[in-house]
Formats: sequence, C-alpha cells, structure tokens
Amino acid sequence: MIKLINVSKSYLKNIEILHDINLYIEAGEFVSLVGQSGSGKTTLVKVLIGEERVGGGRVIIGDWDITRISKREVPYLRRQIGVIFQDFKLLPKKTLWENVAFALEVCGQSPAKIEKIVSSVMRLVGLEDKKNRYPHEVSGGEQQRTAIARALVHQPKILLADEPTGNLDSINANEIIDLLERINKFGTTVILVTHNREIVNQLKKRVITIDNGKVVSDQEKGKYLL
Amino acid sequence: MLLSFVRIVKFSIQDISRNVWLTIATVTILVLALFSVNVLLTVEMLSRHAIEAVKEKVDISLYLKSDASEEQISSLRSQVSQMSRVKKVLYTSKADALRFFREKNKDNPEVLTALRELGRNPLSPSLIIMPNSADEAPMLIDEIKKMDSDIIESRDFADNALILEKINGITNKVKEVGLFIISIFIFTSMLVAYNSIKVAIYTHRREIEIMRLVGAPNTFIYLPFVFSGIIYALMSVLIIIAIFYPFLGLLQPYLEVFFMDYNINIINYFLDNFWVIFSLQFVAVSLISVLSSWLAIRRYARV
Ligand SMILES: Nc1ncnc2c1ncn2[C@@H]1O[C@H](COP(=O)(O)OP(=O)(O)OP(=O)(O)O)[C@@H](O)[C@H]1O
Ligand SMILES: [Mg+2]
Repeated sequence: MIKLINVSKSYLKNIEILHDINLYIEAGEFVSLVGQSGSGKTTLVKVLIGEERVGGGRVIIGDWDITRISKREVPYLRRQIGVIFQDFKLLPKKTLWENVAFALEVCGQSPAKIEKIVSSVMRLVGLEDKKNRYPHEVSGGEQQRTAIARALVHQPKILLADEPTGNLDSINANEIIDLLERINKFGTTVILVTHNREIVNQLKKRVITIDNGKVVSDQEKGKYLL
Repeated sequence: MLLSFVRIVKFSIQDISRNVWLTIATVTILVLALFSVNVLLTVEMLSRHAIEAVKEKVDISLYLKSDASEEQISSLRSQVSQMSRVKKVLYTSKADALRFFREKNKDNPEVLTALRELGRNPLSPSLIIMPNSADEAPMLIDEIKKMDSDIIESRDFADNALILEKINGITNKVKEVGLFIISIFIFTSMLVAYNSIKVAIYTHRREIEIMRLVGAPNTFIYLPFVFSGIIYALMSVLIIIAIFYPFLGLLQPYLEVFFMDYNINIINYFLDNFWVIFSLQFVAVSLISVLSSWLAIRRYARV
C-alpha cells in the first residue's frame, strides 16, 4: 500500500530532515509512528499527502508513484488519503454537519449524495445527535471525531493521523484511538503519529520509531522506545 | 457542472460580503477609472461634433451695395451658382435682412427704437455662398476674392481654419491629460483589486487549507476569486451607468448653450451606443480585475 524507498528530504540546502527512509506498509495495517519533536514525523506525513516533494528516493501509494506528483494530480491523491491533525481544522462558523459536508461540496458532489454520505460517517463516529452544533459547542474529542468523519467522506484507503490526541485528555484520547481501531477494522490503513507512550503501549501494534530523520526501529507489536 | 458553478458563485458572494469595505474600495476605484474613461469619451465625441459643425459652417458672404438692382443681383447670383465648387447660394434681400435683424434684436428695444428713428432700411442685401465641401473652401475663397463686380460692397470669409486648429489643440490636450489620468486609474485599480483578493484569500485561508486537504480541485479553490473579480467589474459598470446619465443630464443644458445651432445631444449619443460603450467597458474592467485577482491567487493561494 505504501512504499518509501531510500527517501530523503531537505527544506533548506545542506540540512537534511529525512535520511534514506525505507518503509513498507501493507494495506489494512495499523502503524504507530513515534519520535521526538523535530525528528521529521510531520514532514513524512506531508510527503505522503503530496504537500512536500522528496529530494531523493521514491514514494509509492498503492500502485501510484507520487514522487514527482504534479499540482494538478494532488487533489486526486488527497481523495484517497484522509488526514487529521492535532488542531482539528474545523470551520468555526459551520456546524459539525456542515463541516463534513463542505469536503464533499467543494469536490462537486450532489446534495443527495452529500446527505447520504455525511449521515453515514456521522453515525460511524457517533455524532448524529450533535450534528447541528458548532465546533465551540462540543468537546475536543467530539471536534476530532468530526474531523475524522470529514477525512472519511471519500472512503480513503489510508487514514493519516498526525498527533490526533495531542490536545485531548486521556479519556477523549482513548475514544479517538478506539475509533481509529474501528476504522482500521473496516480495512482502512491507519498511520498514527503520536507522542503518547501509554497509547502506543496499549495498542500492541506495529511501531516505527524515527530519530533525527532516520528509522531507528520497526517492530511488530512494538513498544514506545524513546 | 452547474452545481459546481452555483457553489463557486455562492462562495464568491460570501467572500465579497465578508469583506464589504474592501469591496467598496475596489468598486469605487474602478468606478473612478470608468468615470474618467467616459468623460474622455464625451470630450472626444463633442470635439468631433464641434469640428464637423464648424466645417459645415464654412460659408462666404458677399455684401452687396444697397442700391444694386434686382437684375444685377440675380445675374451675380447665377454667375456664382455656376462656379464648380459652389453647392448653394442663398440670397438675403434688404427686406429679409431687416426682418432677420428685427427678429434677432426683438428683446432689445433700444436697437429697435434706433432703427425706427432712422426711418429707412440701413442693411445691405447679401449672398451667402456654401462650398461643396469644407475642403474646397480655401480654393473657392480664392476664386471669390478674384471676382470682379460693381455691386459687391464687401466680402466676408469666416476664418474656420483657425477655429478648427484651436478645437483640435484643446481636444488633443484633453486627450493627453485624460489618457494619463486613465492610466493612473488603471494602475491603481489593479493594485486595489490585487489587494482585495489578497485579503479575501487571507480571510479564507482556513477554507482554502481544508479544501486542499480534502482534495478539492484547484479550479474550485481559485475560481471563486476570479469570479469575485468579475463581480467587481459588473458592479462598477452598473454604478457608472447609474451615475453617468444624470451627470450628462447636468451637462446637457450647458452644451446646448455652447453648441447652440448644432443640436448636440450627448445623452442620446450614450443611449444609442449603450451596448457598445458599456459592454466594452465591462470587458476591459473584467480583464483588469481578473488579471489582478489571478496574480494575487498565484501568489497567495499557491494554486
Ligand atoms: N517548512 C519548513 N522549512 C524548514 N524547516 C522545516 C520546515 N518544516 C519543518 N522543518 C524542520 O524539519 C524538522 C522536522 O520537522 P517535523 O515537523 O517533521 O517534526 P515532527 O517530528 O513532526 O515534530 P513534532 O513532534 O514537534 O511535531 C524540524 O527540525 C523542523 O524545524
Ligand atoms: Mg509534527
């Protein structure tokens, strides 16, 4: 599903952020990506969604080589990869329902389809009863669940979560992780970037550790190392 | 396709209404630019009419001796009529001249009293000679000057060349200044439109970020801003139409006085050419504002 071959990346000349990364992630896997602040995790996420180009190596998603992806092709990639972030990225003046629908509207989906898809993803994340509230009227965990619902509207094969629990207390955080596991069970590949030792250790899934832009460990049923 | 269009329009209207003041500023500067364009157009049209009118007016008057007999006059008249450059010869008899004079001075009792006290008709009969065309006038004038007749008292040649030169001079000055002002306005319009779109993009940065994230096509991201540029253009053209006609209405009475005999109506001119004038202006302003939007989009929305 995801192949990184000898990937390197630098923003400024001479300062390499990722060095010679080789990763192979299969369809349907649940992978945690851990590493200290500044180790290059977010950079890796940006490479996977086509926001940053790599300096060397190859990046392959499914059977699509996105190493030299053009600006015009990026939207197609984004519809195959859902992304969520620490800061939810919801629009404050839209209700939860409208926030999710927005993702379909801007891709030209018809109102009938939007209605159908949005209500099904809202049910999946358990927010049907709060769909008419505004983001500031719900908890952080519920905001993140809305963001997850939005990331799922195109039925992506991959879900990238960059520190999704960073702004949440442990109860809300656990709910989000449960939800990600549930989504993974439906067959979606999930990549979870996190700092949270407890979460990683509880998951008992594959853990990839990056340090200073290098993969330093890659364990099935791994533990948080650093 | 239609659905996307409706959404793009909706998004663009949202963008315009969220930045009302910027919209007002942009449209105002576009309206000023259009106003100067239309004033220049008016000047151009007036000067064309004035030149035509003055050219038309080329006539040569021969004042005849008061004691010339009717036979002498009519033989002179037919002699002039036969000249190849002459279109028409009008004869004003002594009596006609007096009638015109009375008519012209009907509001001037002192002149009429003086005339009555004089007790006789002091005016001379005259022939007014019109050339075939304004261009032939100088040659005709030469011929008339050379003409020899006992009954001619004086010859009067309106010196139109000088007037034409003056009108041309003034028009060219006005055009020069006008083009300078217009180019300044165009430049300012572009800056202001560019800036408005830049701010609109900034206000929508979260939407744009999310659109990118969820895989909205690039066209969907930038078209609303391009469309906003077109809406600015449309609003400014509608406003200029709404204010320019009343402005012409204010101007018209003065022009009527100025161009007394020539029947100039600039409102009609603008009405007759409504579609050409204003659709061209709409296209031009759209180009200006879409181009500036596009530059701002390239720079700030990175599409
Ligand atoms: N746009 C950029 N230009 C230059 N350097 C950058 C840019 N983005 C990130 N970096 C640098 O790249 C390195 C890795 O950043 P990255 O955001 O990938 O780290 P991270 O592992 O996600 O950290 P955190 O856990 O704090 O989110 C950092 O040293 C950062 O300063
Ligand atoms: Mg990060």
